[in-house]
Amino acid sequence: MAIAALETVAPAAPSTTTSKKRGSLGGVVLWVVLTLLIIAPVGSFLILGVSPRVFHQGSQWFTLSYVRQAFSSYFGRGIFNSLWVSTSVAILSVSIATALAWLIHRTNLGGRRFWAVMMWLLLMMPTWMMTLGWGDLLQPFGAAQALGINTHWIYGEFFGPLGIVVVLTSAALPFAYFIVSAGLQGLGPEFEDAARIHGAGPIRSLQTVLPIIAPALLSALAICFAETMSDFGVAFTLGYHSNFPMATYVLFNAISNFPANFSVAAVIAAVLIISTIPPIILQSRVMRKRSYAVLSGRTRAPRRRELARGPRALATAAVAGVFFVALGVPILGAVIGSLVKNLGIDSPNGVHFTLTYYAQIFKPSIQGDSLGAPLLLSNQLGLVVATGTGVLAVILARRLIANPGSWSQRVTDVFLLGSVAVPGVVLGVGYIFFYNLSFISNNVISIYKTLPLLMLALVANAVPGQTRFMAGPVSQIQPSLGEAARVHGAGRMRAWRTTNLPLMSRVLLWGWLLTFTKTIAELAISQILYPPSQEPASVSIQSYLANFAPNTGTAMTVLTLLEMLAVIGIALSVYRLVTPAGWRRVGWTGVQS
Amino acid sequence: MSEVTKRAVGVSMSGLGKVFSEKLALDDVSIEVEPGTFLVLLGPSGSGKTTLLRCVAGIERPSQGSISIGGNVVVGGKTFLPPERRRLAMVFQDYALWPHLSVRKNVAYPLATSTLEKGERTRRCDDLLERVGIGHLAERYPNELSGGEQQRVALARALAAEVGLILFDEPLSNLDADRREQLRIEIATLTREAGMTAIYITHDQSEAFALADRIGVLNQGRLVQLDTPENIYRHPHSAFVARFTGVAGEFPVHVTNEHGEGVVMVALPFAAGHTIEASTIERLESGADVRLFVRSSGVSLGVPSRDEGVRGMIIDVAFNGRGYDHVVDVGEGFTLTKVFAATKFDRGQNVKVCFDPSACFVMDPTREVSK
Repeated sequence: MAIAALETVAPAAPSTTTSKKRGSLGGVVLWVVLTLLIIAPVGSFLILGVSPRVFHQGSQWFTLSYVRQAFSSYFGRGIFNSLWVSTSVAILSVSIATALAWLIHRTNLGGRRFWAVMMWLLLMMPTWMMTLGWGDLLQPFGAAQALGINTHWIYGEFFGPLGIVVVLTSAALPFAYFIVSAGLQGLGPEFEDAARIHGAGPIRSLQTVLPIIAPALLSALAICFAETMSDFGVAFTLGYHSNFPMATYVLFNAISNFPANFSVAAVIAAVLIISTIPPIILQSRVMRKRSYAVLSGRTRAPRRRELARGPRALATAAVAGVFFVALGVPILGAVIGSLVKNLGIDSPNGVHFTLTYYAQIFKPSIQGDSLGAPLLLSNQLGLVVATGTGVLAVILARRLIANPGSWSQRVTDVFLLGSVAVPGVVLGVGYIFFYNLSFISNNVISIYKTLPLLMLALVANAVPGQTRFMAGPVSQIQPSLGEAARVHGAGRMRAWRTTNLPLMSRVLLWGWLLTFTKTIAELAISQILYPPSQEPASVSIQSYLANFAPNTGTAMTVLTLLEMLAVIGIALSVYRLVTPAGWRRVGWTGVQS
Repeated sequence: MSEVTKRAVGVSMSGLGKVFSEKLALDDVSIEVEPGTFLVLLGPSGSGKTTLLRCVAGIERPSQGSISIGGNVVVGGKTFLPPERRRLAMVFQDYALWPHLSVRKNVAYPLATSTLEKGERTRRCDDLLERVGIGHLAERYPNELSGGEQQRVALARALAAEVGLILFDEPLSNLDADRREQLRIEIATLTREAGMTAIYITHDQSEAFALADRIGVLNQGRLVQLDTPENIYRHPHSAFVARFTGVAGEFPVHVTNEHGEGVVMVALPFAAGHTIEASTIERLESGADVRLFVRSSGVSLGVPSRDEGVRGMIIDVAFNGRGYDHVVDVGEGFTLTKVFAATKFDRGQNVKVCFDPSACFVMDPTREVSK
């Protein structure tokens, strides 16, 4: 569900002249693809929770014993922990993000554009990388100690609920920030002016204006809760090492143990989905009503509050502090950790810096293989998955905004909402189960334990969020622009290429980059579905970290992060170089401060 | 025959119907547009005028009926030509300028598929931009222009297409009064100079009267009258057309007696014993209860004298630049609005009200005639 929260504009109502026949045939093909990608794997897996006999996983046609099992002992603890952590994270992240959004968008804070870019970096940062950075920094004889900072007092605290909440709050910040920012940007100065003119002081003005963006705040709370519930990276690393089970990890555990208990896993999966569907539906309803977006029609551009020099410096320092904790500490920890010899070991020779671990990355190492191959594989996966997802997401986004209120639009909407709530770990387990069924592998498609299966799962994981992400910008394009092209002699393809594509290009690029970077660092599905001897980078790194080669794993993490940043930089530069000037003047303002 | 006259094409619409989710947007509309005619479709919101225009453009597909442009069937039976094959141009209500293209590239868009050399295309675009008065803005982008300038770009783009038919979808509705007037003149002049047939939709009757060779009035998806502007104004076929094209007052009256061909005498409800002449297109019996519609041009004000006549009192007055528009209370709760006089009558002043029979007409208020 990673980028579903970035949905910003309500679907509009373009007219359509598409031939009904072509529409219905396209619809059938699309739904067959979506069934194979999401509906069948997840649906068949979930059935096992109450009816294991349907797919020969037990003797009962209907039983609630797995439901009881899922809510007891270890499994129950995982579910309970996830629920309270997600609630805390949602409240914390929305509070911090609201303050950040207000400072960045409504004041003369220093470095506003820089902070907005940092927020995008934070969005792209996987949670397991953050955990790794924090761990490297704080552990005894770790990176902080190499810098002469004593962290013993906080190490124990960090490896527990506190650390988990800190990392997950950092990860949820961008989602809350982008939603609240959209609300704030639509909120013109006239409301505040009216309050002030009618006698309200600054505090009362704020009290008057804040309820106007309440839908955005509510929406942000919902998405942050859902994002945190479905996170696997922290559960698999920090949660596991702190003996603090979380729902996604106990689900993974249920199918990793021998014999695999698919039925209990299915119940936990259902709990995860059910707990995230209400907030996501709420968010969708709120965004659709768009009570704050209606302000934008004749609303003037928001005015920035001019902070005096002292408060401005203080506010800038506070924002820098937030980004330091959320992004700086993990990156710093990982970078220093990758350069310190014998990280975490009490060496009589003291702390030494070295580049050895970077050199090891491309040499055969303890795994008998170099680390270059997993990174290359992850890049290939990223390329295919981001491109495939982009194409499917555009098709689905157009379907989502066409024919508002129609049966097809409502079904697509409900399906996407439901799919956004499916965590990657559930999708991964669903794929293992469904594509290993003999009926499927013998009669439909035989891709179990292959790279295409992993690719399909990654596409399925990215498509719902990406579609909702694109629906906003796609719906912003006035239908008359395409109609004008057709009326003035352009065929269907030329009209799309010359009018819609330029207007969507920036959002397509950012959508592609988001999926690409998320795929490179994806852990849940990759961990479950990687084919034998074809480990993606994230899995390979985890295996190095678990096999007493933390430095090499950390160096690999830093290199992966650098590579992601380099790809973003190159892609943005190429876009700037090859696209006509007009393309860059229009479109999505998601990266503007 | 000049080149421009050759370019204009006729448009024939027959039995057009369009249903949106069980809502009837167009109901059996048939219109013939002669080549070179400037047809204005006039109607309130929801009357179907935009749907009709979009059907002609090929953006909407009618549920029934046929359309021919220049003698070629573009809709009819199983035929449905997409917009790009209809050889027409259009000015959109929201201008529909492509924000990523400069003004010059927007205007050059329709020429992309032409056989003209690049230099010739540029020259033609620049000529057009000069003609619409924005030659100096060729390198700008749409978001750097005012509303009026954007509308001129949209007009230049439509003219650049060099086709026989140009469609206007309420092109002036987003502009302020001054710019609207100025652009209305430019649209009329440039379209006629280009020798194109034009179909223009609006809900503004003054715009319609100023532009049209012929006006089609639409109501609830039906064409209720198609005629010259003069006939629409002087001889409305229904109460709806009369009201929509502007009346100063509307009163229940009864016919006292016929007074020649198409003229009756009616008793005014607000001035006992007073009767006036009014025109009618119906045959009305003496004693029939009908409604009297008075155009603002059919009322004049004067200083009261001892002569018998209708009396009124000024309750509001507004300066309109050329003179004064008055609201007159004529008694019994009836008022006349927008009564023009070159000189000002003050609020509360008593006046004499005179009626011109040629701008007063009576009809059965329930009468609706489909043309």
